[in-house]
Amino acid sequence: MIAYTFKRLLTLVPTLLAASVLVFLFIHLIPGDPAAILLGDTATPEEILALTRELGLDRPLWQQYVLWFKNVLSGDLGRSLFFDTPVLQVIADGAETSILLALLTMFWIVILGIPIGIVSASYKGTWIDQVTSGFAMLFASIPTFWLGLYLILIFSVGLGWLPSSGFPSVSDEGGWTNMRYLILPSLTLAAPNAALIIRLVRSSMLDVSREDHVRTARSKGLHPARVAIKHVFRNALIAVAAAFGFTFAALISEAVVTETVFSLPGIGRLVVQSILRRDYPVIQGVILIIVVLYMFVNLLVDLAYAWLDPRVSLS
Amino acid sequence: MRYVTALTLGSRMISPVSDNQPLLRVENLCIAIQNAGQLQPVVRDLSFEVQASQTLGIVGESGSGKSLTVLAIMGLLSGSPVRVTSGKVWFDGKDLLQLSDAERRSIMGDGMSMIFQEPMTSLNPVYKIGDQIMEGIRHHQHCSAKEARTRALQLLEKVKIPDASTRIDHYPHQLSGGQRQRVMIAMALACDPLLLIADEPTTALDVTVQKEVLDLIAEIQQDTGTAIILISHDLGVIAQTCNFVAVMYCGEIVESSTTEKLFQRLGHPYTRGLIESIPPLHSDVEWLNAIPGQVPALNALPVGCSYQPRCSHAQAQCRQNPPVALLDDEHIVRCHFAQQLQGRAS
Amino acid sequence: MKLLTFVKEALEGRKLATAGAIWLLIIVVAGIAAPLIAPFDPLEIDPIARLSEPGTPYLFGTDHFGRDTFSRAVYGARMALIIGIGSVMVALLCGGLVGMLSGYFTGLGHVLMRMVDVLMAFPALLLALVLMTVLERSVFNTILVIGIVYATTTARILFGMMLKLKNEVFIDAARCSGAGHLSLLFRHILPNLLSPILVQATFIFAFAQLQAAALDFLGLGLPPEVPSWGNMLAEERIYITRAPWLLIFPGVLIILSVFSMNLLGDALRDRIDPRFKDDIAGV
Repeated sequence: MIAYTFKRLLTLVPTLLAASVLVFLFIHLIPGDPAAILLGDTATPEEILALTRELGLDRPLWQQYVLWFKNVLSGDLGRSLFFDTPVLQVIADGAETSILLALLTMFWIVILGIPIGIVSASYKGTWIDQVTSGFAMLFASIPTFWLGLYLILIFSVGLGWLPSSGFPSVSDEGGWTNMRYLILPSLTLAAPNAALIIRLVRSSMLDVSREDHVRTARSKGLHPARVAIKHVFRNALIAVAAAFGFTFAALISEAVVTETVFSLPGIGRLVVQSILRRDYPVIQGVILIIVVLYMFVNLLVDLAYAWLDPRVSLS
Repeated sequence: MRYVTALTLGSRMISPVSDNQPLLRVENLCIAIQNAGQLQPVVRDLSFEVQASQTLGIVGESGSGKSLTVLAIMGLLSGSPVRVTSGKVWFDGKDLLQLSDAERRSIMGDGMSMIFQEPMTSLNPVYKIGDQIMEGIRHHQHCSAKEARTRALQLLEKVKIPDASTRIDHYPHQLSGGQRQRVMIAMALACDPLLLIADEPTTALDVTVQKEVLDLIAEIQQDTGTAIILISHDLGVIAQTCNFVAVMYCGEIVESSTTEKLFQRLGHPYTRGLIESIPPLHSDVEWLNAIPGQVPALNALPVGCSYQPRCSHAQAQCRQNPPVALLDDEHIVRCHFAQQLQGRAS
Repeated sequence: MKLLTFVKEALEGRKLATAGAIWLLIIVVAGIAAPLIAPFDPLEIDPIARLSEPGTPYLFGTDHFGRDTFSRAVYGARMALIIGIGSVMVALLCGGLVGMLSGYFTGLGHVLMRMVDVLMAFPALLLALVLMTVLERSVFNTILVIGIVYATTTARILFGMMLKLKNEVFIDAARCSGAGHLSLLFRHILPNLLSPILVQATFIFAFAQLQAAALDFLGLGLPPEVPSWGNMLAEERIYITRAPWLLIFPGVLIILSVFSMNLLGDALRDRIDPRFKDDIAGV
């Protein structure tokens, strides 16, 4: 397993390098002088000249890349124009919110998506299946921000049960009860993704239930629920696990919108605000980190896949 | 061993010579498939019996309804568009079709078990073979994991898996097709079934492996006295293994007999066609004697004898339903010309 | 013509999907004939009638500028069609071509698919956001960006299908009878891929609507003056309690359209997928 992990890690390196080139080139894609862009509108010609030297912007592009990459490896992602603090610091500030939001969302996705998917597949063709599949597809068709706005309208404005925006850190006053700020955002974020997982669990289970070995399991006289969980779902899980990488990507994308709707101080909103503020070093830094994270998640998915399916050769 | 003729045709029953209750008695079984809101019959008015310790071979082309018949007996049709429309299946004194699902499941894998055609796909790829054998044992016998494992190991040795104590922890993909079929057999034998149903158990295997698996089944039958229903499209396989043969065509049994008598005096033109289409081993032939035409579609069954469009002996009266002819007390043929034709058998 | 019968067959006996298809037809007609259907100019401001409730003459009420919501919704249908069809075209042209060529010429494919992998390392909306940062807000750029995002998935799907098809016997047969690369690709292989491509197109169309709406909402999509459903929601979100119709009408329009497209895509997918044909066990 360790050798396999290492091997998969190695295959990620080229993709990661290529992605880092794209992220690096991002600053150069923006029309104008990169140094001026990085320093913002208030920069003096002297400052621009100084940064040009520092980043080697007068040197060939590949040397600039090497320099930038060295800086990145040493943890230097540049400075935020807006906050005038290191980019890494700015991103770290938003990490708590985003990580907690992601975890809570994953929790909803798993506890809603998987059981409902199993039920839907087990009652294939009945009204139960039609209702659950229908709602799953409906929820996958609702724009995230629209759902968020209406959840706020109902549960915050109307019923007053839950806060509508912001998120004080769990280390602030209130401690873990502050998690209530994340309930509506996480449900908003979970809805379309849980819907996709429901559909995926259902269709993979229906695929598996057509396989011969399920008939073998039934021929042992096992209870249908046992056949459904131990045999059908266990095999369907392989396909579901494989799709979790995509779910994670969708989660990041929709978190950008959700954090904006609920004014959460997370990385998603940071991206949007940085774009609107033209705070390019932060945009570049966040994207780099998300790409690395996403690849790491895909690696985990691969490992989970190998672990779930004994047919995948680990050597 | 004394063979008791217990095969019947149509609604006509020939009572067994023995006064023992047969282990399995299928009475007037009708199976239909739900197709676009309509029920299309696939098995029509089927009756036969299997005594304890008897080996019955059911032979027929694909689409003859032989697999559906055993799936219905086993109780594995639920969830498919196929259902039993009428008839009775007596097993060990109970009518299986009247039982509740839970009662039915308590027999499946215990009193009655089944081996399937595709060993490559019939085992669950994500579990070790030992665990898959143990599952049925633990389910029916409520024993500890350790006891079940000991039993599983015995079974693997019985089906001659080499190095069973290592193999027990292997996954199906680490085994060859023949070995997987042996594992399937071990799994089917797990709870000492009274009846073992084998649906084309060797079709997907290499010829050499086929022989080994058939020998194994025969050996198990000798050792345990389990009754066996063996399904095949290959009359040769049946001849090797079974005491009794039933030939199915278009959802009906057209001929049934002890194996010995069947080969002595072929009764039904279809059986003869099946045998003549086997290429002879010791002489060169220019042409194989294939049966002309194809198995008719379910929704376009011919009137009268369902074989008459392909039959070289067909005459006007074949458009009437053929009578059940009794060649002797162990040999039954569903053909208008059974008496005349069997005399001419070569 | 063949595709039309394919759609017809797919919709047979599926009431919800058929209803969805009819709804989409209405959207198409509304989009094409927008100037004839809309009672007002979607940009015309009526300061006296700001935030008026649904009724007459403003069927769906007005927004905070006093613009007619119904007329804007009708023009929004036109924008939805433009964005959807445009994104599908970009995705299929770029992604489809890359996928097909990669699957056919394996050497080239190795390089191209690695590039697709790199692009796929960026989560969809994030990639769109980054591209929009560099580009200006415009209808064309929004289409381009969404199209590129889905070109990656399209490329990967078609690459996979191509690998399977390439090894089919009928392709060998065509090759043996002297068919060249172009003829093989476009006369023998492409026709077999048309129905799966159609299914993929329906899903891209549906996703594009959601992505475009999200971009509009973040202020990084279509220019604010363009009457699109996403912009209508983005601009009027603060009036959610005072003038709920401003968010309900465009929201429901997006949901219904995406839902219908998904239903249609599902029906089509069930029709192509051969696994569903062997439903009868053990015959």
